[in-house]
Amino acid sequence: MSNPDFSPVTVIGGGIAGTTSAIALARHGLPVTLIDEQPTAGGQIFRAPSPYARQTVPPNHEFSGGDALRHKLTASSVDVRFSTRAWGLSPTLALDLIGPDGIDQLPPSTVVVANGATERFLPFQGWTTPRITGLAGASILMRNGGTLPGQTVVVAGSGPLLFSVAHQVLELGGKVAAIVDAGHRSDWLRLGAMLSLDPARLTQATSWMLRLRKAGIPIHHRAHISAVQETETGLLLNVSEMDHPERRHVYASEAAACGYGLKPSTLITRTAGVQHRHDPVGGYLEPVTDLAGRTCRPDLYVTGDAAGIRGMAVARLRGLITAHAIAQDRSVISGETYETLTRAPLRQLRRLEAVSRRMLPLMNAGSAIPAHLQDETIVCRCERVKAATLRSAIKAGAEDLNQLKAWTRCGMGPCQGRMCEDSARGLLMAVCGKTSEDAGSFTARMPFFPLPLTAVTGTFAYSDIPLPKAAPL
Amino acid sequence: MTPALQSRPDVFDTVIVGAGVMGATTALFLARGGQKVALVDREDMFRAASGVNAGTLTLHMTRAQLIPHAIRGREMWLDSATWLGEDVGAIATPGLSMAFTEAEEELLRQRAQVRQDMGAPIEVVSPEEAIQIEPGVNPAIRAAAYCALDGHIPTYRVGAAYARALRQAGVTIIENSPVETITPATGGGYDIRISNRVQPVQGRRIVLSTGAWLEKMLGWLGYNIPIRCLINQLVVTETLPPVMGSVLSIANGLLSLKQFANGSVLIGGGWQGEGNIHQGGTRVIPENLRGNVRLAQYVVPRLDEAQILRVWLGLESETPDAMPLIGALTPDDDAFVVGCVHSGFTSGPYMGRLLAERILGGNPDLSPFDPTRFSSLAATGTRS
Repeated sequence: MSNPDFSPVTVIGGGIAGTTSAIALARHGLPVTLIDEQPTAGGQIFRAPSPYARQTVPPNHEFSGGDALRHKLTASSVDVRFSTRAWGLSPTLALDLIGPDGIDQLPPSTVVVANGATERFLPFQGWTTPRITGLAGASILMRNGGTLPGQTVVVAGSGPLLFSVAHQVLELGGKVAAIVDAGHRSDWLRLGAMLSLDPARLTQATSWMLRLRKAGIPIHHRAHISAVQETETGLLLNVSEMDHPERRHVYASEAAACGYGLKPSTLITRTAGVQHRHDPVGGYLEPVTDLAGRTCRPDLYVTGDAAGIRGMAVARLRGLITAHAIAQDRSVISGETYETLTRAPLRQLRRLEAVSRRMLPLMNAGSAIPAHLQDETIVCRCERVKAATLRSAIKAGAEDLNQLKAWTRCGMGPCQGRMCEDSARGLLMAVCGKTSEDAGSFTARMPFFPLPLTAVTGTFAYSDIPLPKAAPL
Repeated sequence: MTPALQSRPDVFDTVIVGAGVMGATTALFLARGGQKVALVDREDMFRAASGVNAGTLTLHMTRAQLIPHAIRGREMWLDSATWLGEDVGAIATPGLSMAFTEAEEELLRQRAQVRQDMGAPIEVVSPEEAIQIEPGVNPAIRAAAYCALDGHIPTYRVGAAYARALRQAGVTIIENSPVETITPATGGGYDIRISNRVQPVQGRRIVLSTGAWLEKMLGWLGYNIPIRCLINQLVVTETLPPVMGSVLSIANGLLSLKQFANGSVLIGGGWQGEGNIHQGGTRVIPENLRGNVRLAQYVVPRLDEAQILRVWLGLESETPDAMPLIGALTPDDDAFVVGCVHSGFTSGPYMGRLLAERILGGNPDLSPFDPTRFSSLAATGTRS
């Protein structure tokens, strides 16, 4: 065995995967820094609830699991930097950060990307109306803020979050007007049959479904919200069935929550230049990794949902395995120790992955929606670009996402295309028959989110500016 | 030219390699002049320098000798509806170049003078006058050079307009096609070999307009001209309430600052990033980001309210004497080059039109840009 390498490791993302990984790395004696934008660890699922939510939301696994994780982190030697976000990354993996004390740069280190997932959103006519939120956003509002998005809510989109959100609305005393799911009922039944492999999820799913059924909530499968109008009291939502366009349903509610599953957050991994591929089942771009999260860069690992959507239980296991793999790659532990440490987690991982992969088609059930967007529908909210504008640019020759962005401004705004990329790509594929690979992705650019200009400039005098020599006369 | 080649219908009259402003304008005017034209690019068209530059229409930053061309280029941009068939959104604004130190003031006066001599309507004004023209600038200025003929363009819109015009003119556009070699064809003309294509594209003549990639391609034709590749940094902010109405720069030329109609402010000026055009990939140098943005905030203090939305890097190419390469590469008049024009976006369409005029048999004065001027290297491109 060569000399062990105890140089620093930086974990980006303090969710289940990142925090688990950081704690395990620290146990291997590696100096670890954990960065997260929230004030405490937990990520999206284990996010620390507000004091109000602790009083109003019934005790649940996410609260207790999160508290346990945070407790373990506090007891570890992990150096934590909370309320801090990475806004840039150099090719050597120096990390540009912004936190409570302004901007800062971490010198190059081994980086574990554990920045989780982004919700996929697909537009419909009128979606920019107030009181329409994402499913993930609605879930955070309820679970961690103890607040309903509205007294009556239409829950729409695809994937398991539909039923989680509907259940949370009931839990807080709200009403669910309808559940509108792009997925097939039979896909859910097939998933249900597999849940015996994951007893924890099976118990949870059964209790949700019983409660939703008892409340008599209408559930439409293979359906989507096709249009929304604002009324004096809230929203009026049109629901269309995908296989029977003539069948329409109208629901009134105060709010709507809509989301079409999750996709890995790839801004950081794309900036780092690691190889990515389109997962046709998940319908998203993911970094190419091995089981332990290794990428084509020896100094960069990806773990948790950032490496492909598999859910909470898999994220924890992946975080653990990635940490052991780094310890082995650094010769901190032997190959044998690695085998011993990862035997049980790997066995569990394989079992749970089978269930998780079944979730992907359910999350991606809305993939055909962008092709049928009405011309007047806004696709890019930041720049107010409509489907008609995109269609005509594609027909005029903008046959990849970046050319389409240049010609229409779609994706040029503050969200950096997080909201519109999937629908713009879907339109491209539909209009000119491109594959998702050929359609491409918006080029990742820093800063990863809008950055206050003064955070970059700081306090300075004119003489501090290193003016380059004059341009030629 | 041999009769055999003349009669082959699949051979283009001119194949233009490099679909940016200069190549595309040349293509457009050649096609309108009756030629059968192909325009080839390694990526989608207008994705390199021509699609990502700062869009400044400027006489302050253009090299003094190119002032007459820049004035014509600017006129073409403002008149794009007429010759390109679409208004690309060029806006005429005044331009102010500013000095904050004694040394800068001296430089400012010197640069203003040589530009005046070349016909630019530039005059040095007092701080009070400058603040009247642009109330948002830092009152610490010592002097400013005022030019009535500046302006800006939302660069990203230009490619779409050219695409439509070129198709209408009948130009064959071959995108995402990196050229691997260019070789003289038997019987005259050139074979242009493209990756992943079995058959070469054939042209009776070629035009190279590949900007930063010119050095390599000129090498294929026997020219050894070192071309420096600048990697220029650009920073755009989120939309802001109006903070400025003109194009702002500083005396040494290393700032360009403008606010577009949508409210976003674009900060440029040629601060450098890192990268290698052959291996691909560019990166921001943090100190240069900070320096460029500090300079911008110093010039327009209200930028302290801004949020930086995006930083990117664009390429600019420069010859050893920082003057353009425009003209014939061979005595047979079958290979041409257009490129390396300083602040080339401003003069670009005019330069492209001049080359098209030359190829169609006209006689515009291109002598200052003669690519064979790097004497020890000249005439190696002569065909036997």
